[in-house]
Amino acid sequence: MKRRFVLAGIAALGLALSATLAVAQATDTVLAQARANGLIGEQADGYLGFVPGAAISADLRGRVDQNNIQRRQLYTRRATERSVSVNEMAAAVACEVFQRPRIAVGERYRNEAGQWRQRTAGADIDVPSFCGE
Amino acid sequence: MRAALLTSLGAAVLAAGCIPVQIQAPDEPIEINLNVNIRQEVIVRLERDAAELLDQNSDLFGGTTP
Repeated sequence: MKRRFVLAGIAALGLALSATLAVAQATDTVLAQARANGLIGEQADGYLGFVPGAAISADLRGRVDQNNIQRRQLYTRRATERSVSVNEMAAAVACEVFQRPRIAVGERYRNEAGQWRQRTAGADIDVPSFCGE
Repeated sequence: MRAALLTSLGAAVLAAGCIPVQIQAPDEPIEINLNVNIRQEVIVRLERDAAELLDQNSDLFGGTTP
């Protein structure tokens, strides 16, 4: 009897966990979709941005803002550890995003000069000048 | 004769001295990129941290694409 309860408890925990993961996954999908559709993109400052002229739903805006808040927290923590400014830490991450790259072909990104570009299969990404080799 | 020579020499020296030394200001303002250099140095130093942040938080960033 007791054992059955324990098993039920484990099963419930598993369900709750998978539900949480599903929500996280859903968030990713919305952002990934928006990237692919050219509504949002990576910026040279290390944050996500809205492509001008794109119709941004309140839901999407909220998700992007939330994503940027989380990024900022990460940058701030690491910047404090390394005694650099938050902007420098953010720029260093942007370099990784642009150079690795974490921008897929067809996605839009905002270069150092503030202009929005689209990554195409043939052309190199416009990597910020402050990035190393 | 000697005096004349000296005079002309003096005149030449004077004339030479009078040639305005042209120091042309450059058309474009001199750019001091010190700020950029310091920045790049810092960013290169942070490369490993940045890569680690990306790897540990891949849910916040786009997927890796070759």
